[in-house]
Amino acid sequence: MIEFEDLLLEAYNDMVRQAKDEGKFALGYTCYFMPEVLLNLPGCFSVRLRAPRSASPDMATYYMSGRTCMYGRALMERALEGGFNFLDAELATETCTVTCRFQEHMQMMPELIDNPNFFCEFSDVPFKKNDNSILHYKDQLQVHVLDVLHDKLGIDTSDEAIRKAIEEQNEINRVVREIGEFRKLDEPTITGFEFALCQLVALACPHYLILPKLKETLEDLKTREPDKKPNYRVKVVLAGSENDDPYFVKLIEECGARVVADRYCYGSLPGRDEIEIREGETALDAVARHYLISSQCTRFMEQHVMRQRKEYLADLVKEYKADGIIIEQMKFCEYWSYERLIDTFVLRRDYDIPVCSIEKEYTNNAVGQLRTRFQAFIESIELKKLQNDQAERGVG
Amino acid sequence: MKLIFKIIRIFAIVYAALFAVFYFDLDGKLLYYVYEPLMCKHYDNIEGRRNIIDIPYEMKNDIYD
Amino acid sequence: MAEERMVRMSLAEKLGYRKGDLKNFVKYIADDPKQACKDFIYGKEHERRNLGDLYIQPTGLYRHREWRGLKDTFYYFNCIWCYNYGMMVADILSAENPLSFFKGIWRYRWLGQTYIPVLHWYDRGMEGARGPALRASAWHYRGLTHSTIEQFMRMFARDLRFTKGEPNELWKKTVLHNETVSGSIFYPFRDGGLIDIPLEMIPYFVTCHVNSNTVLHYIDAIQSLGLPSDPCPMCQAEAGVGIMDDYPDSAPCIITTNEACDASVATSIIQDWFLNRPLYAMPQPMQYDDPLVQERCQKEIEGAWKFVEEQTGVPFSWESFKKYAELQNEQLEFEHEKWDVAAHTNYYPINGVAQALYRIYYSQYGWNETWQLLDNRVRKIMENCVTNQIDTFPKTRHRVIAWSCAPLYYSNWCTWAYNCWGLNTIINMDSLMFDKFIRTDSYEHALEDLSWYNEMAPMRSMAVGGYEHIFKLWDYMEKFNCDMVMMYDQLQCKGMQGIKGMFEDEFRDRNIHAIWFPHALPDKRTVSRAEIRDCISNYMIDVMHEEPLDPSLLDFDDSMTW
Repeated sequence: MIEFEDLLLEAYNDMVRQAKDEGKFALGYTCYFMPEVLLNLPGCFSVRLRAPRSASPDMATYYMSGRTCMYGRALMERALEGGFNFLDAELATETCTVTCRFQEHMQMMPELIDNPNFFCEFSDVPFKKNDNSILHYKDQLQVHVLDVLHDKLGIDTSDEAIRKAIEEQNEINRVVREIGEFRKLDEPTITGFEFALCQLVALACPHYLILPKLKETLEDLKTREPDKKPNYRVKVVLAGSENDDPYFVKLIEECGARVVADRYCYGSLPGRDEIEIREGETALDAVARHYLISSQCTRFMEQHVMRQRKEYLADLVKEYKADGIIIEQMKFCEYWSYERLIDTFVLRRDYDIPVCSIEKEYTNNAVGQLRTRFQAFIESIELKKLQNDQAERGVG
Repeated sequence: MKLIFKIIRIFAIVYAALFAVFYFDLDGKLLYYVYEPLMCKHYDNIEGRRNIIDIPYEMKNDIYD
Repeated sequence: MAEERMVRMSLAEKLGYRKGDLKNFVKYIADDPKQACKDFIYGKEHERRNLGDLYIQPTGLYRHREWRGLKDTFYYFNCIWCYNYGMMVADILSAENPLSFFKGIWRYRWLGQTYIPVLHWYDRGMEGARGPALRASAWHYRGLTHSTIEQFMRMFARDLRFTKGEPNELWKKTVLHNETVSGSIFYPFRDGGLIDIPLEMIPYFVTCHVNSNTVLHYIDAIQSLGLPSDPCPMCQAEAGVGIMDDYPDSAPCIITTNEACDASVATSIIQDWFLNRPLYAMPQPMQYDDPLVQERCQKEIEGAWKFVEEQTGVPFSWESFKKYAELQNEQLEFEHEKWDVAAHTNYYPINGVAQALYRIYYSQYGWNETWQLLDNRVRKIMENCVTNQIDTFPKTRHRVIAWSCAPLYYSNWCTWAYNCWGLNTIINMDSLMFDKFIRTDSYEHALEDLSWYNEMAPMRSMAVGGYEHIFKLWDYMEKFNCDMVMMYDQLQCKGMQGIKGMFEDEFRDRNIHAIWFPHALPDKRTVSRAEIRDCISNYMIDVMHEEPLDPSLLDFDDSMTW
């Protein structure tokens, strides 16, 4: 785990360096809608961009103002600092405004990435999950990802190559999922922080290098015993917008909650589901369908999908035996500001799930306030549990 | 003839009065100082509005299923 | 501060009387009777108008309305003030259910607080205007007023609140849609009796222009439920109207869209909750000039048509679509003529605010007869200006293009900017949306063009969907022969905020004078009108080293105005 922590300290980590030294192309992306699997075709590897250890993004604030999501600005700052110079390409999506603007700067400012062959290519991602949208998405992936990778980097993008990439992707998904399964135990043998490290290294490092390490971790976990005296008082699901900071999860856990499920951008749910190739489908068909249908992103606008998202969260609470949900929203994230509002009401009212609803920054700079909120939330759950117990026993 | 003059006179008076209302923005002043505050008070006290918190949020099927 | 000031005002002050007024007036006549007589007949020349002295601060009311000379004052009184008050009544009386107006005004804040001061909205938009500029701009406002009344009367005639919950036949043949979905989508059903209602257009959008106080209530309502204050305030207000249960219940279903931005998508989550009825999402692609997305976008429009047929029973009619699309094309053709005059001459008679609002309104509503009638009148005025080479804005010092999304609570800033500084807003970004002819020679062509048309919706056509669209500013500056940019800095617009530095760099590299002025779309509390004026004035004084045309407009308090 310490090794994972080290790997997450910078985007251009040792494994990325090693893969680059081995002649592979580093392909950056920011969003689940850029299928990780397609960026791990032979000869290239994916890096989901993060800006760990960010401080104040002053230069980026000149370009993107101080009134945009700090995730986008932190990435921009890191790019301006030269932290993404290792990238050979950015496979971009216009899925939320600010990350789109960040990636547009990559297109507009050739000096931003110090690599003469660097390019940034956008794909359009539909807002629905119907058949038309899957075709839409598939066309985009074909032309703006596969064809571009083939033409500019000489990558093999044949159906066979994609099938192989799917197999490898499924393997890493399976391992991460299995690691995550330990969170379902009555007494989880892995902390939310540890799991976040596993999930994040899988996103930020070349798969072929990180997979053996993840497998090792899985093996270790199989024999790990739960703590004799649990160091948590309640179990919670963490849901919400972008979060690539394991220390945010750690902060919650330090307050006395165990984070047992992660449904947020960069989280494993539902991102680590296996990709299934159905009969009659091409590999790309399967990829397009999988990423569109499995996503729980708040961009989706169909009525049944909007409503189903709440049900999905409620199901996670049941499945992971959680006591409540923390809904986090990155400040200035418009999608999640509304989703958080409605989740806060509906999950409480219709599913009787305690909800803690918070707004956060990309960097953990309001720790004191957040700590107070989490502690109060945990106490309220405990109180509720106590009241329920008393009611069951007919006390009071 | 008398009637016509009477009508013209009434028209002239009404026209002049309206012009005074127009020129001295009396319509604006009446609406601003009297009408709007009264109406706002009324809207603040309307009862029987649905509370969104009470509106059901049950699952709906895909409209083309 | 301003509220305290209001409390302290005596009745005479509230009515606009100032000590010494009469004496000064007598002195003005006695000093130079010839000049006074000339002023009475022709109105004062621009530099002597002192329009700022007309205000009762901080209310924005007039001590007295402007004397524009004999001809223009009586034109304003007869053909704008009396005519429009009269026509407002006539519009209501000619609606499907005139009595529902009273129910509506009693029930809905956005109507009662907004509808009545409409003539003040005219005043603000046409301050200082003379001759053809006054006439053509006023006709645009008339079109906007008529269409607004038509829309809300339609809403009330169907409103289940006024029918004891019993849906009438009108309700059954009506579709609600987000205001950013163009009315043109519903052309195929118009002759079949379908009415489409842009849900937020009247309750939210129009109110901000006419009475900027109304919307504050709705913004507060949604924030009181826990929504942060940083998402786009337009979307906040739209959701707030729903939270306050202030949308008429006028249709069995709704069509939503992702236009213009992330917050619009997010707002539909709340809309779905309070409307709680069948909803069809008709999103437009973001990277819309990618040829790959066109067919997919068209399928979504066809999906919407199928939904309308199923929900309302009104059948799709190609003939109906063709008829209205052709009428819309005619209208766009005239718009291009107008742009041509605006770009190449000084004879364009429509002021910045009238031009912008007219384009937004008619694109959202789609074609209707009102627009055609008013276009005919405006055409005559414009042709007269061109034939007789009438310089319609003779004090123009700079030809301005306004870019990004405009402050709704101060849409008349361009009237002020012209009167105070001679900044003539020739065109703005909102006017350039929906700039697409629809071919009607075949269904396929029509659908293809309709899909493009909708992709060029407000904000979407420039502000999101690829940076190259927003940088079309440089082309439009050249096309409209502008020498200055008024850059709207909408504080909560993530799309624009996210590219601010690039604009700064480009302005510097291209040596363009650009004035950034901050605003918060409908919320005047975040950035006041006075602050907006200060931004412009400071630039004009400090950077351009110019003197104001009318110094009385430099500093005045209108914080409590509509």
